Amino acid sequence: MLRNLLKLTTAAIVLTSTPIFAQTETESTDSFDDIDWSLYDDLGFEDESIKRYANAKIEGLSPAKLISFGYDFQGPYTIASEDMTLADGTTIAGSEALQVNSTAGIRAGFNLPVVSQTNLVWQMGANYWNTSYNYAEAPTASDNPLHQTLSEHGLRTSGVNTTIYKPLDEEQFILFQGSADMSGTYGSSLMPAQYLKYSAAVLWGKRPTEKKQWAVGVARTYRVGELNYIPVILYNKTSANNKWGTEALFPARVHVRRTINPRNMVFLGYELQGQSFRMYENLPGFDIRDEDLEIRRGEIRLRAVYEFSLKNFIWMSVQAGYRINYRYDVDRLASGPDIYRAFGLLDSPDYAQINALTNPFYVNVSVNLVSP
Amino acid sequence: MLRKLTFLAVSAVIAFGTLSFDLQQESENPGDRLVGIWEPSNGRSRIKVDRIGNKYYGRVVWLIEANDADGNPRTDINNPNPDLRNVPLRGFRMCKDFVYQGDDTWSEGTLYDPNNGSTYSGTIKMRDDNTLDMRGYIGVEAIGRTDVWKRLKMPSKKKK
Repeated sequence: MLRNLLKLTTAAIVLTSTPIFAQTETESTDSFDDIDWSLYDDLGFEDESIKRYANAKIEGLSPAKLISFGYDFQGPYTIASEDMTLADGTTIAGSEALQVNSTAGIRAGFNLPVVSQTNLVWQMGANYWNTSYNYAEAPTASDNPLHQTLSEHGLRTSGVNTTIYKPLDEEQFILFQGSADMSGTYGSSLMPAQYLKYSAAVLWGKRPTEKKQWAVGVARTYRVGELNYIPVILYNKTSANNKWGTEALFPARVHVRRTINPRNMVFLGYELQGQSFRMYENLPGFDIRDEDLEIRRGEIRLRAVYEFSLKNFIWMSVQAGYRINYRYDVDRLASGPDIYRAFGLLDSPDYAQINALTNPFYVNVSVNLVSP
Repeated sequence: MLRKLTFLAVSAVIAFGTLSFDLQQESENPGDRLVGIWEPSNGRSRIKVDRIGNKYYGRVVWLIEANDADGNPRTDINNPNPDLRNVPLRGFRMCKDFVYQGDDTWSEGTLYDPNNGSTYSGTIKMRDDNTLDMRGYIGVEAIGRTDVWKRLKMPSKKKK
């Protein structure tokens, strides 16, 4: 009896001790020396029908901006205008070069994920850019209407955009970007939807390694001021040591990146910026709205950019550079919403007014909430 | 003497029964479906999820590039705390403190991204037994990114 009781007691103690050890094992405080890491080398998916897809990002890429609020400032430059041809065939005399002391305005936008899955990434965004012209001497009715409308109303763009990334397999992907922008000299209320400008790009590409992706495609764009259809090339690459990289969507923008650390990055490169701005708000004594005029503004920004984390996901971007005018001409839209010149290859009407701008230095500062 | 031994045996049996009941409850914890080995969508790492107490933790057990350019084991070089930059990435706990909330959801945890040294709030949603939606976000869930993790088969061999 005594022996049986001892056996029972011993068995009970052993049995109760074993789960306690098992609990300790669950807590998993193994030293790394005890772990055979090779166990995890060759593991298949539990569900063998699962596919791997090319990730939308590559290693080392600068973080995407979810919300951005910034200010853009261009230094002094001049605008020299030629005659402006009106719809009735008459002309308004141009002007000698007028001095603009500064051009500045707010640039704000957001871009938020709608769907963020392995096999589909979809983002939606919106942006607002305002540009005010500060002339050395305020233009009057005796000056060319271009100067008066820029001085009194400035230019602004409000738009919405979307980006869809669709991986086809572990390497190939399709990228679509589209936007609808309302650009013009409008004030507190927007212009009618008929003045929306639509841009889009579709690319097919590959992501051969974790540090490189490339794609080719076509774009409908207003980046040089007027409508164009152009080929585009995406090329993102990070060096083996993660210190250098290239971020390019040619010809829209190309940057070489120097990664000081993942929270401090410096870029050198350029960006093409442009849009067609409807001359919408009337001027005293001049019904400019009936002239169906649009300013074709396109510019190249050679720049250095420093982006860094202020705190956690709040980043600051400081850029400085040289703004080179590409086009600042005025078109009359006699028929249809656009004139497609194909860089002069197609027979098309002359500009209603041609303008020449000198080139200033500029700075742009923004605070951004970046993507995880 | 016999009475003492009888008391001891009965106590042990009661203790065993109580503990077994507790363990049975724990083993039936529906949150334990999260335990296993998972692969993030980029395929660059594998994460082993364990439960510690009533929380779930994920540790890096495999890296596609286990060593750096100099051939040394990769460490957490991007950690904002300089004292932690020598910590090996393999073995690093990058998911912490997730609590099962029911409805196939674990939350209240954090996700660490060694690529940039950032820590995010996290929510895990189990889409099916072999698929997780890992959402890292900043402040509110709307501002974040979801990565899909897939369950891997358990290793066939045992630890040394």
